[in-house]
Amino acid sequence: MNSYKHTDIQQTDLFLQHQCSLVACGQGVKRGERVAISLLPGKGDIHSPVGGKVSYVDAYRITIVAENNDVVAPVNLDGLPGDDLKRKLLELGGDIPDADSVSTVIINGVDADTDVLTRQHMLTSSSGTLERGLAAITVLYTPRETVLATLPGIQLSLPEVLRSIISDQYPAGLDPMVVKAVTGKESPEDTVIIGLETVYHLGRIMETGLPVLDTILTVNGRGKTVPIGMPVGELLRLEGDHVLDQDRIVLGGVMRGTAAVMVSQGVDRTVSAVSIVRNPTPVAMDAACVGCGECVRRCPARLDPAMLTNYAEFGMYDKAAKEHVNACFECGLCGYFCIARRPMLQYIRLAKNELAVAQRQIEEVVTS
Amino acid sequence: MKQLTPLILTVSVPPHRHSGVTVRNRMFKLLLAMTPAAIMAVLFFGMPAARVMALSMATAVFTELICDKFMERDSDIHDLNAFVVGLSLAFLLPASAPWWLVVTGSAASIIVGKMMFGPLGGSPFCAPLVGWAICRISWPEFMDIDATMLSIDLSYPLARLQNFGLASVGNTDLFSLLLGKQLGGLGAVQILGVLLGGIYLVVRKHVHYLIPAGVILGVLLTSGLLCMVDPTNNASPLFHLLTGSTLFGAFFLATDMPSSPNREIPMLLFGLLAGVLIIIIRTYGIYPDGVPFAILLANLFTPIFDRIRPEPFGKR
Repeated sequence: MNSYKHTDIQQTDLFLQHQCSLVACGQGVKRGERVAISLLPGKGDIHSPVGGKVSYVDAYRITIVAENNDVVAPVNLDGLPGDDLKRKLLELGGDIPDADSVSTVIINGVDADTDVLTRQHMLTSSSGTLERGLAAITVLYTPRETVLATLPGIQLSLPEVLRSIISDQYPAGLDPMVVKAVTGKESPEDTVIIGLETVYHLGRIMETGLPVLDTILTVNGRGKTVPIGMPVGELLRLEGDHVLDQDRIVLGGVMRGTAAVMVSQGVDRTVSAVSIVRNPTPVAMDAACVGCGECVRRCPARLDPAMLTNYAEFGMYDKAAKEHVNACFECGLCGYFCIARRPMLQYIRLAKNELAVAQRQIEEVVTS
Repeated sequence: MKQLTPLILTVSVPPHRHSGVTVRNRMFKLLLAMTPAAIMAVLFFGMPAARVMALSMATAVFTELICDKFMERDSDIHDLNAFVVGLSLAFLLPASAPWWLVVTGSAASIIVGKMMFGPLGGSPFCAPLVGWAICRISWPEFMDIDATMLSIDLSYPLARLQNFGLASVGNTDLFSLLLGKQLGGLGAVQILGVLLGGIYLVVRKHVHYLIPAGVILGVLLTSGLLCMVDPTNNASPLFHLLTGSTLFGAFFLATDMPSSPNREIPMLLFGLLAGVLIIIIRTYGIYPDGVPFAILLANLFTPIFDRIRPEPFGKR
């Protein structure tokens, strides 16, 4: 069995991060109805994966109980001009990074984490959908060239796309590293990089006229088509895995993925893999930096993570900004190699988030 | 096992896997790497050497425990760092060191060299060298290796070089130096054992090869240069490399984690500086073995070397 159906979902919890809920408790929703809008530019909205009733809503979570099979009507997207298409696709749950005057679009078809093979699976199993997605991207960005970055040794039949082969050595497959490998430049201005799953989702929207309702992810070392909103516990159960007390369910690769909060948490379209991690203890501890320098020597962004995390730990975010914390692309290697087992990536994300919040507040004051 | 309902999941931050190398693990590997030299020291100097090593390590551990108590922090004694500090200090002491000297040196290493700067990682100096320097300056007659080791039929080549000139060490057999047939710090002069442990650490990447390489290169280049200028008064580069604590300093002391730079170019410069200083102190200074002071001085330059750094990714 290579795919699961939305009828496997009895109840789902959709988690909100930078989205605003549109529904209220007790409200009936159709499958594919928009339930939350994105607050970030370039990120698509969230839709109900089932027809049913909203049973719980707060700022972080929407719970929907399945009741029926009512589906929203498809939207006709054919022949729309770029701007209208972009607006529609965002409404339907496509992620479209903001960019103007793009000369190169890079499609990242590399699974950076060694234990994830989602993009590989998409390339070999869904070339028709990917072609539709690529066509949409050409309309959206009108680039001079489109380059597809893949691991070596992958056969595919996508026309009119340049290929670029990327090493399978982590972190070579992360977006900024791929951009550098393809263009030879670090963070060039006229280039936009899009993950292959986004192309797949856009392709699905173009094919069906419906919001993004399914995705491909890696479970048990195989690529699977899974309806969005499938509770991770249910998915693992259908796979024959038993989730035990105090397990970690990791959404995404082991280096960068987030841990699921509850077994009923639904997979969203950014989840590239679902796996269980059974370490006896969490990897990170509350410990001071011992100054070994492993992180400094491993950092692919040439930063000093030891210094950055020390600043973040003591709330000196302005100093972290001066040390270029925003150049970090969150590969997680610092935490992987930290001999003191500090939560390196978490500290860096904390500093970045605090700086972004402060920036937004400044902008609000300036504009008001 | 009865399961809780609902299930409680562990939630933690990425990465969800770890390289497996922890502080305790690294300190254990350091101790392992020091074992060959420690065994050789016991073979050559007998029980006095074992006594100094055991006393130094025990004092270091208890001092750290007491400090933790006074500082009201949870003890990190299980990370084995105190053992490494204690053993490193013992390696630099003569086997004849009186008990109070060992205890003072070891306690000073932990208190002044480590705990005063907070938990492991705060100290700008290599901890055992701080204790060594305090003892060397306060009780020079007890730290004088030649005078305190008269009972043993070995010579201290560095002191002979300093006091009686090149001719007195001219026929020193380099191979016997390698085997540890010389006086000096009880473990530091077990050159073969130190080399074995050092190579193990470098191969297993527990220390970065650039620091020892820099120290050795610095020693060889400077002594080679001096030897070229005035071959009648200056010993050969290999003599300097194989005597005293040059190699122990290069592999075990200069590579001390917090007190050495973190990036490649700074590491090499740091090593070179320490190496150059070793020869300068040995040739022009009053101390026969300049290694501990050379590394302490190089430690002072670590923050400056650390300023040599690349631009971050994609900075415009």
